[in-house]
Amino acid sequence: MTNTDSEVLIKVVDLHKSFGELDVLKGVNTEIHKGEVVSLMGPSGGGKSTFLRCLNLLEKPEKGSVFFEGEDITKIKKQKDLDKIRQKIGMVFQQFNVFPHLTALENITITMTLEKKIPKAEADKIAMDLLEKVGIPDKAEEYPGKLSGGQKQRLAIVRAMAMEPDVMLFDEPTSALDPEMVKEVLMVIKQLADSGMTCVIVTHEMGFIKEVSDRILFIDEGIILEQGTPEEIFNNPKSDRVKDFLGKVLY
Amino acid sequence: MGPGIIDVFKQYYPIFLKGAVGTLKFAAIAVGLGSILGTLIGFIHLSKNKVLSGAAGLYSTVIRGTPLLVQMYIAYYFIPMAIPALSFLSKEQCVMMSLILNSSAYVSEIIRGGIASVDIGQTEAARSLGMSAGHTMTRIVLPQALKAILPSLGNEYVSMVKETSLAGSFAMYELTFTKTLLANKYLIWQPLFIIAAIYLVMTVVLSGLIRIFERRLSAGDKH
Repeated sequence: MTNTDSEVLIKVVDLHKSFGELDVLKGVNTEIHKGEVVSLMGPSGGGKSTFLRCLNLLEKPEKGSVFFEGEDITKIKKQKDLDKIRQKIGMVFQQFNVFPHLTALENITITMTLEKKIPKAEADKIAMDLLEKVGIPDKAEEYPGKLSGGQKQRLAIVRAMAMEPDVMLFDEPTSALDPEMVKEVLMVIKQLADSGMTCVIVTHEMGFIKEVSDRILFIDEGIILEQGTPEEIFNNPKSDRVKDFLGKVLY
Repeated sequence: MGPGIIDVFKQYYPIFLKGAVGTLKFAAIAVGLGSILGTLIGFIHLSKNKVLSGAAGLYSTVIRGTPLLVQMYIAYYFIPMAIPALSFLSKEQCVMMSLILNSSAYVSEIIRGGIASVDIGQTEAARSLGMSAGHTMTRIVLPQALKAILPSLGNEYVSMVKETSLAGSFAMYELTFTKTLLANKYLIWQPLFIIAAIYLVMTVVLSGLIRIFERRLSAGDKH
C-alpha cells in the first residue's frame, strides 16, 4: 500500500442511499487517496454500483457526505458547480453509453468544446492522440454503430479521459463485452492505473482485481464488510462472508 | 340519381377547391401552433416539478380521451359564454382553438414518448462528463429522440388534415362543408365522393412528402 500516505482525494462519510423501501447503502465510510486503485468486490445487489454512482452524484445519497478534493459535493447547490466537479470525475459504464449519433472523434470532443470551450482544432488533436493511445485512431470518423463492444468501451474510456479527470470510476466495464474483448479493455484500464490515475473499479474480473488493486473493499448489504490489500482479501479473508464469496467465484 | 360525379366536379370545382384550401389552412394552423404548444407541454410533462408535470399529463389525458367534436362544441358554445374575456374570439377562432389544443395534446405525447425512448444511459454519460443539463438535452438526447418523433409527428399531421372535417359541422368553410353548400342544389351523394377523393389526394401527397423528408434525414445520418 504505497499510496495511503498521499493526499486524500475522495472521502466518504456515513453514506446512506435507499430506493423506496430498499436500503442499498447503510453507512459507508472510506477514503480514497490520490493515485490509489481501489476495487469494489461483493455480491450483486450489495451496493457496489450504487456506491460508485454516489461518488459523482448520479445517485443522490439521502444521508452522509462525499468530499471530493476537500469539498462536500453533496452540499453543492448550483448545477454549474456540480458540472465542474463531474468533469474531474470520469465514469465508464457497463453499457458503454457512447453517443450513437456522433462520430468517435465527436464523442470525445463534444463536451470539451461545449463545456471547457476548448477550440475545435485543439480538441480534435487531443482526441486523436487519445484514440491513438487506445489503438483505434482509424475509427475516428466512424459512428459507434460500426465499432465492436471493446472498441466502444475504449472510446468511452478516452472520452472520459479527455476531460482530464482526477479520478476514474469504472462500473463493471467488461460485463457487457464478448469474452474475447475483455482483455483489450482491461489492458487500457491497467495502463491508466499504472500511469498513476486514481481508479475506483467495480468488476467481477477477480484476476484483474488481484493484479491491479492497491486496496479492495468488500461491499455487502450496504456496508464495507471488509477491506485490505489483494493479498489480505484473497489469501487471508477475515469474515466468513468473504471466504464464502471467494469460494464461490474463484474456480 | 341526378348528374354524375365528374359533371358535378366540372361545374362546381371552384367550390371544392376553396373548401380544400380551407381544409389546408385549418390543418396548417392547427398543426403549426399545436406543435409549438405541444412541444412545450411535452417538456413540461417531463419536468421534475411534480405539479407541473402532473398538470401537463392531465391535460393530454383529458384532451386525447374525449372526442374532438365534443371539444369543438364546448369551444364553440360554452367558452365564449363562460369566459367573457374570450368573447372577442370569432366563431371560427373558437373552432380553430379547439383544433390547436387537440393537436397539441397529441404532439405533447409524441415529444414526451420520443424523449423517453432515449436510453437514460445517454443522459448519465453526458452528465458524468460534466455536460450541462441544457446541452445534454439539445446535443445528446434530442437528436436521438428525433428519430422516434418525426415519423409519429408526420402521422399526426396527416390525421389532422382529416380531423379538420369536423369544423364543417360549425359552418366553417372547409372541404367537408361543401357538401352542405351543394345540398342546396339538390346534390346529395356526388359531393361526398368528390370530397373523399380530394381528402385522399391530400393525405397521400402529404404522406409522400413526409416520407421523402424522412428519407433525406436518415440519409444524412450515417450510424
